[in-house]
Amino acid sequence: MTEIIVVTSGKGGVGKTTSSASIAMGLARRGKRVAVIDFDVGLRNLDLIMGCERRVVYDFVNVIQGEATLKQALIKDKRFDNLHVLAASQTRDKDALTKEGVERVLNELKEMAFDIILCDSPAGIEKGAFLAMYFADRAIVVVNPEVSSVRDSDRILGLLASKTRHAESGEKRVAQHLLLTRYNPERVERGDMMSIADVQEILGLEVLGVIPESESVLAGSNAGNPVILDTASNAGQAYDDAVARLLGESVPMRFTEAQKKGFLTRLFGG
Amino acid sequence: MRARKSPPPAATAEASAASIDLFESKPSAANAASARVAELRFGQVGIAQLKLHSLDPALVYADVEARVRAAPQLFEGAPLVLDLSALDAVPAAAAVRALIDAVHGAGLHPVGLAAGEEGVVALARALDLPLFAKLRAEREPAPVPEAAAVPVTVAADADPAPEPVVVEVPVPAEARPVGQHHADPVRSGQRLYARGTDLTVAAVVGHGAEVIADGSIHIYGVLRGRALAGARGDASARIYCQNFQAELVAIAGQYRVFEEPVADLHGKPVQAWLEGDKLRLAPLS
Repeated sequence: MTEIIVVTSGKGGVGKTTSSASIAMGLARRGKRVAVIDFDVGLRNLDLIMGCERRVVYDFVNVIQGEATLKQALIKDKRFDNLHVLAASQTRDKDALTKEGVERVLNELKEMAFDIILCDSPAGIEKGAFLAMYFADRAIVVVNPEVSSVRDSDRILGLLASKTRHAESGEKRVAQHLLLTRYNPERVERGDMMSIADVQEILGLEVLGVIPESESVLAGSNAGNPVILDTASNAGQAYDDAVARLLGESVPMRFTEAQKKGFLTRLFGG
Repeated sequence: MRARKSPPPAATAEASAASIDLFESKPSAANAASARVAELRFGQVGIAQLKLHSLDPALVYADVEARVRAAPQLFEGAPLVLDLSALDAVPAAAAVRALIDAVHGAGLHPVGLAAGEEGVVALARALDLPLFAKLRAEREPAPVPEAAAVPVTVAADADPAPEPVVVEVPVPAEARPVGQHHADPVRSGQRLYARGTDLTVAAVVGHGAEVIADGSIHIYGVLRGRALAGARGDASARIYCQNFQAELVAIAGQYRVFEEPVADLHGKPVQAWLEGDKLRLAPLS
């Protein structure tokens, strides 16, 4: 049974693509057959972060428009051969996506017996984001601990509850998960960042995972190695915990408390 | 983005039949008092008017459908008066029939025409549709080729006082539905509307969300967004919430915005009501 999971947020720059790349890697590392699709047509980034940009020949739009087969466009990851990437087109815009076309590609991926299809949504609530979420069974809403991101996530959660295939048919609900990224426990303690409890309280949802702010995230993205592969980093381990929870495991939260090392944190009783 | 729900229906009969339902008295009311055959009552009800700038049914369909889709709770199946005053000339009956079908196909129920030029009276007769007195919705100076107000079936009031949008049509009191219930969080950008009744929300109303009711509003959760009770002018409507952090509260058009949290109310169970035209808020104790 194939499951379609959308990674979305409303707001841009909160870490959707970074999270998609790491979650896709993490699921593949745990043995799942994974296809990850970049819905950000015109601002193609996922292939860069996954480190396969030089192997993109055909893209998602080519497949939708019948210019290439899905097999030709799927890029097999070099690290896990059960992980495939479908890149976005850099030269088109979101209008190249159609509901029928997206549905056809998703159905074809289901026939190819993928366990999980991960849809990396563009920012905003326009066509690209709408189509990325429309067919989803589950949604991972990426949120940063700041008010505008939380507000936009609330909006996206509302759309997930009304503008998706499941919501329209009324058969079932799209399962919703929160992924809190760029979390800095020291700044939360100082009171200049929202806490996990604040975010959960406003959105009325439990977090699936909390990814600490970490230099290794950017370093990994720039090198085409999603941070989850960096098993020594806190962020990498936190992503792996989130993937485990996504698969139904119960794993305690880590890296959410400030470490008592700095003078400042000691001063404020960290 | 989304495919059309249904093409505009071809038959006119469907549209006019549906509109008649609205005025049907309930059989149960007649049965209750055996001596009475019918009861005529007058009440006020708000009604939307659709000012048409085009005679192309496809364009009108697309436009109306988009609006209905944007706020289905507000518009779906709503009665509607067609205003033809913005058109160059009074159109032919057949053309208006096609428009009515298009509007109906898009999810709204045209129930009559707005009174206007002389020709509209004849047109309404030809279509067997009631005429509604010139609605007083528009504050803008009407760019209408001025015609003498036509005496019509419903109370025509020449006084252009800026009152709420109301047209007097009889509505059986028994038709008032029981309160509307909503169990899921109302998220930012969502809008709930309880037409002609109370609204109960058993969850949070988020920042930037809007809950509207013609009656009272009850929120068993945090109210962070906007709550507007008595949306059609019922000054006895009230708003109750378990945890008050609202951006805006309004009853029968009297509103108050909360830029800063109010110390006595913030985070507390609160009720809001109207005293005269003053909006009052107090903690529920």
